[in-house]
Amino acid sequence: MKNIILLILGILVPFVSAIGQNESSQTLINAEKNGWEYEMKFGINIGGASPIPLPESIRSIESYNPKFNGMIEGNATRWIGDSKKWGISAGIRIESKGMHAGATVKSYSTEVVDDGSKVSGYWTGYVNTKYNSILMTVPIMANYKLNDRWNLRAGIYMSYMLDGDFSGYVSDGYLRQGTPTGQKILFTNGKQGTYNFSDDLRHIQTGIQIGASWLAYKHFRLNGDLEWGLNDIFEKNFKTVSFNMYPIYLNIGFGYKF
Amino acid sequence: MKIKITMILLTIGVFSLGSCIRDEAPNSEADITSCRVTSGILIREAVITNEKVTLYVNDSVDLTRQKPEFTVTEGATISPASGTIRNFTTPQTYIVTSQDGKWKKSYTVEYVFSNLLTKYDFEKIKYYEYTNPETNKTIQFFHIFYDTEIDGSSMDWGSGNAGFMITSSSSPAKDYPTCQDDNGFKGKCAKLTTRSTGKLGAMFNAPIAAGNLFFGTFEVNMDNMAKSTHFGVPFKHVPTELVGYYKYKAGENYTNAKNEEVAEKKDNFDLYAVFYEVTDDVQYLDGTNSLTSDNIVSIARIKDKKETDTWTRFAIPFNMCESKSIDQAKVKAGKYNIAIIMSSSIDGAKFNGAVGSTLYVDEMQLFYKPEEK
Repeated sequence: MKNIILLILGILVPFVSAIGQNESSQTLINAEKNGWEYEMKFGINIGGASPIPLPESIRSIESYNPKFNGMIEGNATRWIGDSKKWGISAGIRIESKGMHAGATVKSYSTEVVDDGSKVSGYWTGYVNTKYNSILMTVPIMANYKLNDRWNLRAGIYMSYMLDGDFSGYVSDGYLRQGTPTGQKILFTNGKQGTYNFSDDLRHIQTGIQIGASWLAYKHFRLNGDLEWGLNDIFEKNFKTVSFNMYPIYLNIGFGYKF
Repeated sequence: MKIKITMILLTIGVFSLGSCIRDEAPNSEADITSCRVTSGILIREAVITNEKVTLYVNDSVDLTRQKPEFTVTEGATISPASGTIRNFTTPQTYIVTSQDGKWKKSYTVEYVFSNLLTKYDFEKIKYYEYTNPETNKTIQFFHIFYDTEIDGSSMDWGSGNAGFMITSSSSPAKDYPTCQDDNGFKGKCAKLTTRSTGKLGAMFNAPIAAGNLFFGTFEVNMDNMAKSTHFGVPFKHVPTELVGYYKYKAGENYTNAKNEEVAEKKDNFDLYAVFYEVTDDVQYLDGTNSLTSDNIVSIARIKDKKETDTWTRFAIPFNMCESKSIDQAKVKAGKYNIAIIMSSSIDGAKFNGAVGSTLYVDEMQLFYKPEEK
């Protein structure tokens, strides 16, 4: 976590110092004339990592907490042509994507492998999942200026996971070992089986992003972006979670346009 | 603003599309959940395990025409149908098919007269096997000791191997906590070893698995492992003594349930037999009360335990528990159970013990009072 704070500072400091210096402000004005635009964005990610569609084995979602997932981004847009209607932008952001969910499942196929030994079978009962990831993301977007206040954009992003956690427990149910007709292993009276698949999370994620901005006041913008992950959050060879989980987040926040 | 609202609506739409709970799939399990027979013939409640139904009956019952009735997992079917008249002089097989039709389980249904064999040489084993219906491949997991009774029925010795299998299904049978060994006092013998369950075992807070062997059945109960062992089978005699041979070696590092080493402690084994009355509320004993239950009338427990690498004879008398007596009429009616219980770690049920502790047992015999004529 410390490293991440340092990283965020590392990105912030040049921006802040840029604002603070008149000379640099002049540079910004000149840059804007040439079609360049810079923005600092802050926001929160609301969403989750979810299989699409939900598999039959998931019977109900008992609880869901999107958690507070912060996001900070610096980006640059180059508006093209005389009309400057279209632009292309690139940025870098540090963001966290997480959730805390509880679900009941029925006959959910799972296999936990560790050092050559494994537990495999079908779980019926409660599953608690905590997912949290800190990502460094580079979005590349096409921008369209609808009018003075509204911007629309769409593009792709690529994320590198700096830190990730996927852990939780199962309780109040039973495991059928191997197959649905295997030995029944009861977990009752609050007995938990814990799991931690943090090491199996995928590090490089890609996705599509669509969004819009509304210029609220002078330099301030309200932003909304949907980030739709195209990769399972786990490595390809990871089979414990038998379905693919895609990170889907709505990012809401504001931006400061320089 | 319109666009923004549209976008939000679109987003919500997409989310809800992805998060619809789908219709419940048909059941994939195929269990016999209960069994009913002609009233008055049972001396015990039906003992139903994952693949077997054992029905202890009165000696006068005609086994050639019995029609047990079964209830199965919701939606599952059983063949031959529940209530079919069959000849149970030998165990009969039933196939249960799950509601979704994808899974089948074979059950052996056996009527037993409880003429328990009293000599145990640990020569006979079979494997716990599993045939995957998808690949039709049969995999052998661990050894199950069994004895064939005088009347041709059989008794399987229980063990905790099924619990060890959860985390170590790929282990060879000889690496399970309970297995047969070639170097017995005579022929082959039983070998009980306290094993580590590895990282996955620790995940379930069960870092070790002691080797155990007992009369009864085993059903894994994660919230209280000691309750997984169901001790006892009907016995229509009054036991007097348990005799046999053992060898024992304690493992080096004694650990507790948290897998922490306890330096000052040394592991030890346990070997005992309990004779107890079966009542409506106590159909069997388990690891939590196998020495303390009020239903116990007599206990034979080994005293002079030592580490030894030569076969050592033990002869343990049954001692009556305080203020207990044996009712001969109840003995004849099959109201008492006996359980012989052995473990390579005395506190193994609480996951206390030393990995590597090994107990060998062979040529065991249970003596009992001759019938009064």
